[in-house]
Amino acid sequence: MIANLSPFSILSLTCTAAAATILVTYLVKHPPLSGVIKVWLLLGLGVFPIGAAFAGNIQGYQTTEKRAFCASCHVMSPETSDSDDPRGTSLSSRHARNALFGADDCYVCHADYGMFGTVLTKIGGMKHVWMYYTRYRGVSADDAKKTIALYKPFPNAACMECHSSTVELWKAVPDHKASLDDVRADRVSCASDGCHGYAHPNARPPGVHTK
Amino acid sequence: MKLQRLLRAHTPRILRVACLLALFALAMFVWSLFDPRPIPVILAMSVGQVLGTFSLLAFLAVVACELRDEQRRETERTDRGSP
Repeated sequence: MIANLSPFSILSLTCTAAAATILVTYLVKHPPLSGVIKVWLLLGLGVFPIGAAFAGNIQGYQTTEKRAFCASCHVMSPETSDSDDPRGTSLSSRHARNALFGADDCYVCHADYGMFGTVLTKIGGMKHVWMYYTRYRGVSADDAKKTIALYKPFPNAACMECHSSTVELWKAVPDHKASLDDVRADRVSCASDGCHGYAHPNARPPGVHTK
Repeated sequence: MKLQRLLRAHTPRILRVACLLALFALAMFVWSLFDPRPIPVILAMSVGQVLGTFSLLAFLAVVACELRDEQRRETERTDRGSP
């Protein structure tokens, strides 16, 4: 189990163990508050917990970017099963096989970009958690996919973070050339029927065309 | 003044509570590391953080109060000793 932990997790656990040892020893022995004890308590209540929280927070932020974290809410399983499929042809599956996306593919595609992008994405994530625990926790994944939808249409700007739409190779594709203005203005979605297909065909409600 | 009296009167208890709160906060972080689902991660990064900060502040308040008392005693001793 320890072998699977990241360096930040190990640092956080080490600091936690050191702090816990000091605190439990203090609680058991009840020594008078001498200068030496103050230094030990400063380590046990300050230095080591701050180290544990610092490393734990970084690990926490990284964890929230993992596909496994998104998939831990069962109603996301249709979406994540698309990404998990090693032979899938959906956009999400093909991107998940790319090392630049990998296990973080949900976050890389759905994150807001720009100066406050990370903060806005995390706030949006909190909204998802709230929706899950207040509305979808007892709903089956099949039922949930009839009502779960993005708050706003997926912006092509997210695709254009990588596919800039400015290189000649991209513009040489006749469909790209013909729809360039519409793509940049979000009037046509890259991930739509007729273009590159839906990113998550498994998550489409039954009856919705998925090709 | 009220706070100082409270800190002086309950120093051992305040330190015990601070230690317990810090242990609880650390337990939350460990939980989030081994069970990285939304609730443990969010609890560690919010409640865990607040409890840990509160425990450190309680300890620092106790130490500051002690140092102040010591300084006052020292001043009194010096005043008494001076001609």
